[in-house]
Amino acid sequence: MRGSLVALSRSVWKGPFYVHFPNLQESIRSGTPIKTMARASTIMPSMIGAKFLVHNGKEYTPVTVTEEMVGRKLGEFSHTRKRFTYRLTKNK
Amino acid sequence: MLHLLGVNLPDQKVVSIALTYFYGIGPVTAQKICSKLSIHKQCKLSELTEGQLNQLSGVLSNMTLENDLERQVKANVQHLRAIGTYVGKRHAMMLPVHGQRTRNNSKTAKKINGRMLRKYSTADTAFARQAFGMFQAPLSKHME
Repeated sequence: MRGSLVALSRSVWKGPFYVHFPNLQESIRSGTPIKTMARASTIMPSMIGAKFLVHNGKEYTPVTVTEEMVGRKLGEFSHTRKRFTYRLTKNK
Repeated sequence: MLHLLGVNLPDQKVVSIALTYFYGIGPVTAQKICSKLSIHKQCKLSELTEGQLNQLSGVLSNMTLENDLERQVKANVQHLRAIGTYVGKRHAMMLPVHGQRTRNNSKTAKKINGRMLRKYSTADTAFARQAFGMFQAPLSKHME
């Protein structure tokens, strides 16, 4: 398991993949959320305290970045699946 | 029976097999330990000398095994759950984590996943509420 994790991980020389948000510092200061579709972007230490609205394929879900989330992807915190609930049909 | 670091090991078994009685040592790790201490492949546990046993317990005491390892795994899952990742959510829902199908099968995940969170949650109901709040929220939204 650990061997495969190393073998399949990203090359170190590339560094982590992340998307540059030009208005990041400004939005941390003012508290306005950044609307984004970049689910694959790694959460960098500079993003701590920022608010994001991350797209889950249908709508934008709010994600507030904390210190523990650093190194994970934005998409991990915006769930794409809804739990199945049984619905009675009205037309019967 | 040989008592080593709180685990009873069967005397009549081959060393590499007997070592897998530890939580945290599988066949591969057991063979690595044996080759490190130059114990031959057919050597039984009862044939080990006092010195070899001391070496063995020395190697084992430097590893994370049994309760320590279980606690470590549990803490990792709880951390994933607490920060609200997808993986942590799948653990709490007792469903497979790595994108397997859930239409049928997924028996292993249903048996194992979230067991640790659940054990914890019986002691602490606040945590349980937090763990299930996530899937109760869309449901209540739906009912309105």
